[in-house]
Amino acid sequence: MNSVLTYVALSMALFVIGAIGVCLRRNAIVVFMCIEMMLNAVNLAFVAFSKLHGNLDGQIAVFFVMVIAAAESAIGLAIILSVFRSVASVETTDAGELKW
Amino acid sequence: MFELLVLLIKVGFVLNMALVLGSLCTWLERKGSALIQDRVGANRAGAFVQSDRWYVKPALPLIRMMGWLGVINTLLCDSVKGLWKEDFIPEGTSKFLHAVAPIIAVLPIMLAFAVLPLAPDFNLFGYYIHPRVAPIDAGLLFVLAMGSVAVYGVAIAGWTGNNKFSLLGSLRAAAQMISYELPMGVVFVALIVVYGTLDVYSIVEKQGELLWGIVPKWGVIVQPVGFVVLLLAGMAETKRGPFDLPEAESELAAGYFTEYSGMKFLLFWLGEFCEIALFALLLSLLFFGGWQIPWVKLPEGVWWAALIGHIVLMSKVVFFCILQIVIRWTLPRFRYDQLMNLGWKMLLPVSLLNLAVTAIVKVLA
Amino acid sequence: MSFIGFVIGVVAIVSGVCVVGLRNPLYSAFALVTNLLAMAGLYAALDAHFLAVSQVVVYAGAIMVLVLFVLMLLNLKSESGRKLGFIRSAVALVIGCVVLLSALPPVFARFAGMSEVTVSDNARDSEGTVKAIGQELYTKYVAQFELSSLVLLIGVVGAVMLSKRRSVTLQPRAGGLVGGSK
Repeated sequence: MNSVLTYVALSMALFVIGAIGVCLRRNAIVVFMCIEMMLNAVNLAFVAFSKLHGNLDGQIAVFFVMVIAAAESAIGLAIILSVFRSVASVETTDAGELKW
Repeated sequence: MFELLVLLIKVGFVLNMALVLGSLCTWLERKGSALIQDRVGANRAGAFVQSDRWYVKPALPLIRMMGWLGVINTLLCDSVKGLWKEDFIPEGTSKFLHAVAPIIAVLPIMLAFAVLPLAPDFNLFGYYIHPRVAPIDAGLLFVLAMGSVAVYGVAIAGWTGNNKFSLLGSLRAAAQMISYELPMGVVFVALIVVYGTLDVYSIVEKQGELLWGIVPKWGVIVQPVGFVVLLLAGMAETKRGPFDLPEAESELAAGYFTEYSGMKFLLFWLGEFCEIALFALLLSLLFFGGWQIPWVKLPEGVWWAALIGHIVLMSKVVFFCILQIVIRWTLPRFRYDQLMNLGWKMLLPVSLLNLAVTAIVKVLA
Repeated sequence: MSFIGFVIGVVAIVSGVCVVGLRNPLYSAFALVTNLLAMAGLYAALDAHFLAVSQVVVYAGAIMVLVLFVLMLLNLKSESGRKLGFIRSAVALVIGCVVLLSALPPVFARFAGMSEVTVSDNARDSEGTVKAIGQELYTKYVAQFELSSLVLLIGVVGAVMLSKRRSVTLQPRAGGLVGGSK
């Protein structure tokens, strides 16, 4: 088996772990962190395939994913803080009612 | 096998140099602050030592002079005191994180020494030795990365203290550190624009060229604004100088250090002084020509040229350490909002403008 | 796969499981930092040097510090309330394993006969040095680069707007609507 494919298998495993975390955890910040883990797993797959194909397109894609993840994390945490101010909790089950 | 041996020797040498410079800075701080504040400082331990043993007697004048200068007090007595003190771990927090926080604060600083070259290449008995532990392609970026990771030690240290003083101090320190990483990174980018490479060894070599045939192309001459910004941002990164609000001894009850005693506290302390040495090394490598004497061209690859270069580099490093210590003991400290103003509203726009001007000049010239 | 790559991969998986499994969200955050640093090591093992260092600077050095700030300031306890239930957790784990194990064989079958590492002739093409990435980024992908800087600007403005204490309330005054208290 190709040695680069172990990296792809590793990235799939991390993606699935992140997805399980998004489904199982109730704390919004932990859900956010699991989403970041999924993004990182996809980054690893991109880099592994970039090495497999012998060009840099995968690594450029990872660069852009990092940029977008940084912007998304800033806004996501600001949203979590706003919700915390009105609901006083970051658990996803507590923010179930629409604003009155 | 031979490469492994050379690598181990290099690692030992660089680690030794980092720790010796850190310890030297602690002694310089103690005695230098005393001189600045018009007092004497520590001069008792070992200054009056007597001995009857014949093998100690020839060294006695040297020991007494070192004791009178305060060296034995700072380097020997403080270390022994730190090692023997009770190691207090506060209740209610994770013991593991409390123990690991000083390591996370100090380890990146030691790692950043690995990508900085200490002397020009030289040949020794036919073997070609490149005096740098890790010849990474993106050397300057690695130093920035290590500065980013060092924030975690501070944040964890304050949180595991389990009291509001520590938490407040650590969050302020972490915010200060990440705020001042931005002007630092932009100054690094401007340097990369000027010299065209991220490799610190190549940057030092390129500083040997002459600008307009008269002046060597040192960093301080092609990037004067960058030098000032990096000096300020570096002192704020290390939480030294007028930016030492996180450890404000008079205000926050020692800030994020509060719950640390004994060797862990000494580890934080030593890490901070090693960071002073790191920034002094960065400034002298990037802005002051590293191991080069201006207008003097030593033959390449010869071992004594490398030795002279190393001594020149170390003297520049010691100069910058003394500069940082003198600045610390001369200026009063900033208030926190003044500190953040300086970082975001003054240093960051200045460094961005510097980058724009540098890029325009580089394209036009 | 080299030995050091294998060790870093194990660290990545163990810390990933810790992110999902630990109750205290702060410990999850520290586990995620370990995971991100391990990923940087894996990028370096795959010859993507610039990406490895920028992963440490951006992800581990900035994004996770932000998450840590939020966690420490909110001073959260561990998840309270009823626990999720054994059956739900087990079902999620089983579905995850099924997804993972069914997605692996097609990928392995596609690259089945290959023994060498890369498809292309020149392995140096995929060396992710700063110079190579800079070449690609500023010639082939320059439009995306400029757009991503716009996205970052929107992110900065949006984060500042969202975290202000109170939004400006418009109140009717003589002369039209006037912005109220801040």
